[in-house]
Order: sequence, then structure tokens, then C-alpha cells
Amino acid sequence: MKKTSKAFAWTLCVVVLGLFAMACPKKPKPVVTPQVVADTAPPVVPEPPKPPVETKVENKDFVQETPIQRETLPADIEELNRYAQSHGYIQDAYFGYDESGLSADAQAALTSSANWLKGDGKGYNLLVEGHCDERGTEQYNLALGDKRANTAKEYLATLGVDGSRIRTVSYGEERPFDPGHDDAAWARNRRAHLVLVGK
Amino acid sequence: MRTLTATLATMLLALPLLAQTEIQTTIDPTKATNVLRIAIPAPEVTGATFDSVNGPLFKPLTRDISMSGIFAIAPLPPNVAITPEVLQRINAQLLLKLAVRTEGEDFVVEARMTDTTGQTQFGKRYRGPAAALTRLAHMLASDLVRSLNGKPGPFLSQIGFASDRDGHWEIWLMDWDGGNQRAITHHGALSILPSWSPDNERMVYTSFARGTSDMYIINRRGGGRIRVATGLQLNTSATFSPVSNDIAFVGSINGNPDIYVIKDDGSGRRRLTTSGTIESTPEWSPNGRQISFTSGRSGSPQIYVMDAEGANVRRISFDGDWNDDATFSPDGEQIAYTSRVSGRFQIRVSNLTNGETRILAGEGSNEQPTWSPDGKWIAFQSNRSGKWQIYRMRVDGSDIEQLTFNGENKDPDWSKKSE
Repeated sequence: MKKTSKAFAWTLCVVVLGLFAMACPKKPKPVVTPQVVADTAPPVVPEPPKPPVETKVENKDFVQETPIQRETLPADIEELNRYAQSHGYIQDAYFGYDESGLSADAQAALTSSANWLKGDGKGYNLLVEGHCDERGTEQYNLALGDKRANTAKEYLATLGVDGSRIRTVSYGEERPFDPGHDDAAWARNRRAHLVLVGK
Repeated sequence: MRTLTATLATMLLALPLLAQTEIQTTIDPTKATNVLRIAIPAPEVTGATFDSVNGPLFKPLTRDISMSGIFAIAPLPPNVAITPEVLQRINAQLLLKLAVRTEGEDFVVEARMTDTTGQTQFGKRYRGPAAALTRLAHMLASDLVRSLNGKPGPFLSQIGFASDRDGHWEIWLMDWDGGNQRAITHHGALSILPSWSPDNERMVYTSFARGTSDMYIINRRGGGRIRVATGLQLNTSATFSPVSNDIAFVGSINGNPDIYVIKDDGSGRRRLTTSGTIESTPEWSPNGRQISFTSGRSGSPQIYVMDAEGANVRRISFDGDWNDDATFSPDGEQIAYTSRVSGRFQIRVSNLTNGETRILAGEGSNEQPTWSPDGKWIAFQSNRSGKWQIYRMRVDGSDIEQLTFNGENKDPDWSKKSE
């Protein structure tokens, strides 16, 4: 009992001191020069105390720049396409084997693309290339690529991108992105590829 | 003594024969019923060396003759005067004698074919510059076949194809044996799927030269190129009607590829299929009354035939889960197409009368068959070497020969006429 009340008294004391300290924020803190201890060090000559460094706080440090200040997009069209793809502003839609319907992933990719095309990318026209994997036949795949490109175009249009800004072309299996001959390569090659083509 | 004679005879037969060492007879005379054995001694050449006419004239001539299906070459013993006894010994029914001489810049070639009685069965003189000697050889071979068969051989026909050997896919032509390969387009852009006009003078094809896929027509010598404005997208698989100036092709509006027909001046466009699924790859029947095509309407690409107005659609292919590239034989009785069998594409030939099909099996993937004008050969593309190359085989699948070697080559289309 006695031990408890002693501890309580100490605690109270610390709290009071703490409150006192908080109540006096303007009281300058003593400048503490750290004591460097080293076995072989020469005797430490304490530096004379410096005045506290004043940090000038400018307004801009409290403003996040990117969302407000307009992003500078690359002027070169090829560079712009790389930039827009790598930032996810425009995203290709991928298809199943011998399919031209849009999966949930493909819809999400086109939705992101549509948002950018209606926003920062408003000034650009779009070419949608339809591509197929190598496993089919050349002539049928040219038609399949046409269907894929136009499916993507129509979806972008339903999301509010002006259809007159979008052109399509089918390359069938003529221009694979991945030259491989396995499932992963084929999956990458079955796509509607979005290309910005200038204003 | 008897042994010695037999040995000598064996040696004579086994010796490499002058000017005929390159010849490989592809017809087995024991299997063919109406093959004639023909002896062809090396030509007598005056005014030029034998070597100067051997490569461009004699070799292609003897190769054509050996592959004609009409003749089998009877090997002659070397350095022996041609006598009736010699011809009898090698069992030759015919003798083809060639005399070549120069006249100024021209070569004059006289060909005379005689039978065992010495009677002339064929005689003709040809003249042309050195650059035309190979064409002259194909012409002579074709004439020889016609003299016995009533129909010319395929030796003057041409195969159109697409090649990327110069960096871009362009349209190329070659002779029936793979010789004389030359580019006829120079778009510097993806150009594919050539198809001959019925008169052998023009080709229609697809090029992406403007960034979209467009239909073009070009003369066989590379001139007179025009773009046919169809008002549609895609413009692929274009093919001339054998009987009119119509072109069947795949056009698309809003991602709905269908079979259309348009005149070669871009007028009179009409739509033949209306299904919401993919239609592609039209090809005319030889009389122009029917069109075969590929459709995905059943759930997978299959071959269908309709009449040239788009009515009376019937399905042709039932084997394979992916069929495309249908093409009628010149007599209209069969259709060859690309058919996937166990994951690989093969050339399948289907008899339209009884529905029987046969696979002309081969290594790798084999696609885009096209018939020779005489209906005895099929050219196709295969990736069996690791690259797409064009091959040619007999309709029974025998005598497969690779015709292209530089770069990658595909989309073969054999000219419709023999000459």
C-alpha cells in the first residue's frame, strides 16, 4: 500500500512537470553539444554554442505539386506512347484464345485508358491495333484482329471517348509483340494495342 | 564372260552420265501406266559453250520433263553414239534432240522429238536472248507435254508470294520451280496475300502502306499499281473472279468482317454474308458460280461454300477445330484447305462430291495451299525448317520440294493459267 502511494506520488510529479514544460513552449531548450568519445581521439575541444539555425518555411512546401500543376507530356509521339503506357494512362486490352469479347481485366484497362483520354489525354487521337497470337491462320486472324480492335474502340466510345477520335487497324498475327512460342508469349500477343497518334 | 558383261552393264548404268547427272526422275515408271521413256542427249551447241546453255536451258528443261508425269527420262550411257540399238537397250520410246546455235545476241534452239521408228513426233524452233533461255526451256517442256497430252504443262506458270527478305514483306513472283524470284512491289510496308487475275496479268493484294490495310492491284511486271477504294476496313484475302472483273474480299464495318464483292475499279460493292461472326478468306470456284469462305459461325473457323450471290450456304469442313484457306481445284471437284490436326496445321484435300478428305501430312505447320493450273501440284507454306518457306508437292503429297530459301516466305498463289 505504502509502495503504491509512493509510486503514485512520483508519477504525479512527472506529469505535473510535463504539463509545466508543455505550458511553456517558448522557453528555449538548452543547446546540448554531443560528447564524442573515442579511444584514440585527441581531447575534445567543445565548440562554442551556435545560434539555432533558422529555417524559412515557404508556402510551397505545403502544396503537393503534381495533382495541381499540369504534367508536361513528351512532345515526341513515340516517347509519349512509351510514357503513357508505362504510367498506365493508356493500357492494352488482352483477349482469350480465339476470343474478341472483353474480360473484366480488359474492361478495367480500357476504363483507365478512357479516363485519361477524356482528361489529360483529351487532345490526342487514338489508333487501336488488333493483334492475334500465331496459333491460328493468317487470313482468319486478320479478321479476328479487326473484331478485337473494334470491340475495344466501341467500349472506349461507350465510356465517353469520342469515337471519331479512334481509328482501328488489324495486324492479325503479322506483328507479334513477343516473338516467343509459349502460352505467356501468346497471351501477350492477343491484344488490342492502344497507340496515341497525335492531336 | 557373262559375269563380265553384267558387270560392265552395271558400271555403265552406275557411271555419272554426261549432262544428266543432275536429273532425278521423280516418276517411277513401274507405277505409272502411261509414262513414256524419253532419251535426251546433251544439246549440240555451236557458237557458245555447252556450259553456257547447260544451267539456264538444259537443266531446267530436263527437270521439267522429268517432273511432267508424262515422260520419264531414260538415262543414256556416256560418250556413246545414239543408235536405235542404244535406245532399245535403255528402253527409250522417244528421243529428244536439241541443237543450239547463236545468231547475233540471240540463241536459236531447235527441238526434235522422234519415236523408235525415227518418225518426228514434235519439232519446234525457239529463239531468244541469253536471259530468256530458262523461259525458253519451260516453254519447250510445256509444248512437249501438250504435244502428247493435249494440255500444256505447268512449267510457264508463276507463283506469287510474300517475302520479307529485303526487310519488309513485299509481293514477289517466281517460276514454278522456284527460279527467277523477283519483287514486284516496293511499298516499304507490310504487303501480303497476293492473288492472280485469271489472265495472269495482274495481282490483287493487301498492303499497309497507308497505315491501314488497303486493297491494291498491280501488273505482273510491277507497273500500273492502283489502290481500290472499297469504303471498308480490312480489305484482306482479295481474289479475282475467274469469269468477270469482280473481286471477292473480306471487308469490315465496325468490326464485323464479312465477304464482299467489288469490281476492280472500285464500283458495284455488294455484301454476300451478313452473320455477326467472323467471315474471311473467300475463293471462287473455277466457273465463278460459287465462293468458298471461312466462318466462325459454328464456334470455330470452318469452311463453307455459297453461290456467288451469297445464297445456299453449306458447310464443307467437319474435321479439325480450325480450318481456313480453302481453294478449289482447277476442275472444281476438290477443295484444299488448311486444317488443324492434333494442334498442327496440315493441308487437307476434300472431295466435294463424296465428302472424302485426305491429309497431305508433313512436318511443322503447313498452310495456304494453292493448286497448279493443271491441278497436279499444290504449293503451300510450311515452318518445318523453323522459318516460313514455300514448298511444292504433288497432289498425292509426294515429291515435296522447297522453293524459297531467303528470309521468310508465305502466302503462295499459283497463277490460274499455264501460260
